[in-house]
Amino acid sequence: MNPGRIIARLGRIGWATLALALLTAQVAWAGSTGTRMHIMEGFLPPFWALLWFAIALPFWILGLRRVRQLVAENPEARLLLAFAGAFTFVLSALKMPSVTGSSSHPTGTGLGAILFGPTVMSILGGIVLLFQALLLAHGGLTTLGANTVSMGIVGPLVAWAVWSGMRHWAPTWLAIFLAAALADLLTYVTTSLQLALAYPDPTGGVAASFLKFAAIFAVTQVPLAISEGILTVLIFNALRSTAPAELKSLKVTEA
Amino acid sequence: MHVIDRHVYANRGRGVDPAHKAALVLLVLALCLLLDRPMVGLLACAWMWVLSSLWAGLPTGVFGRVLLAQGSFLVLAVAGVALSAGTAFPAGVSWVVHVGPLAVWASFGSVDTALHLATRALGGTAALDFLVLTTPLVDIVELLRRLRIPSVLIDIVALTYRFIFILLESLDRMHNAQDSRLGYSSFGNAVKSAGLLGSRLFVDSYQRSKRLQIALDSRGYSGDLQGLTPSYRTDRSLWWLGAAATATLLIGRVLI
Repeated sequence: MNPGRIIARLGRIGWATLALALLTAQVAWAGSTGTRMHIMEGFLPPFWALLWFAIALPFWILGLRRVRQLVAENPEARLLLAFAGAFTFVLSALKMPSVTGSSSHPTGTGLGAILFGPTVMSILGGIVLLFQALLLAHGGLTTLGANTVSMGIVGPLVAWAVWSGMRHWAPTWLAIFLAAALADLLTYVTTSLQLALAYPDPTGGVAASFLKFAAIFAVTQVPLAISEGILTVLIFNALRSTAPAELKSLKVTEA
Repeated sequence: MHVIDRHVYANRGRGVDPAHKAALVLLVLALCLLLDRPMVGLLACAWMWVLSSLWAGLPTGVFGRVLLAQGSFLVLAVAGVALSAGTAFPAGVSWVVHVGPLAVWASFGSVDTALHLATRALGGTAALDFLVLTTPLVDIVELLRRLRIPSVLIDIVALTYRFIFILLESLDRMHNAQDSRLGYSSFGNAVKSAGLLGSRLFVDSYQRSKRLQIALDSRGYSGDLQGLTPSYRTDRSLWWLGAAATATLLIGRVLI
């Protein structure tokens, strides 16, 4: 082997090491600041910000109708819904041990959709996002529509579909795990898609840009989805043993 | 969160009509989005920093810390816009690095887009943070009421705000109790404790909502939560400062 090739190979190893080091640093850092995958204020151009609001609007109207119906049937629902919103918000403040060793935050929408149903979650998700923007300075007002679509609509719908599709034939823990983990995963996939649509790659277009964003955020979001799945299974198991009455009155479990 | 909450109730701009503050913030946000020049974003960021520290009397460091809270998203997403990756890179790129079989490159155009994006997001976030740091949620709820948002939603928002703090307190207490009993001493213990914590938090929320319902029912609750409308003052200086900020942003757009 000639010296030139050795140097070239060493150079390549050097870059690989550097990339690995950057990756590790990124994970540690993202963990310490607690990454929430919300698109920040001002990040989307006006057109896309408005478009995502327009997409979220029908789901908000459906959700509002459902909330009104629940409150009319049962006045207690008003308080329960507010507590559900607060629970989702506080759950997202819960530091969760993550597979990579650093701590991360669950989104809580998977569990919310299983407990309260997906239509209500578009409203609760929107309220939780508003609170995260105004109390924690995470996310934003102009990006509220886009974030609602990913966290309040896509995530809960996925969780609900997986849960209601699997609960009768699969073991409960598996159905819960997949519902929560896939809800989390698809929330992040939707966010990556939203970013890719707004900022397509100059050479590869939307597809290349989507892969790029998905790869960048996968580092933090894939471990997060797995730990959220595990956490949700543990919460649900604990609920079944300590709060069967509450689960029954929410019609999550039969008899 | 507690830092934000402490300052938001104790700053000098607290008593000013929330509609005026929100209008200023929305105006700056709209200017940042529509004018879309790096200079406008930076100027907006500077203006909001000045307004929150000089007009509202917040410590200068607080604004910076709140602004940094979104830093991780900004860095990752801006890197995603600026850099491209693939097995072969096109001609005309200004910077390229090989990582194993992949090439990572940036072109003049993509870096320019990323710069626009980063400054715009920074300006917008600064505007939002000004609202976050000077207007408590109680005032925002009052603003929503004036905007004729359905009262069911307003009730839920107001109650959620109250419940968040109740639940955070329970969460803190339970977490301390678990921690002092070595509940987070190993990874396995931590996972188990977090699961228990989440489930007890849910039961706590559920039972508190029942208890509050009983308390409200026994006081003649008929489905509407009534509160007194707070009185606000009008601060002319905010209008002048807002006009000056708008003018600066427009000049920034024309010049650069």
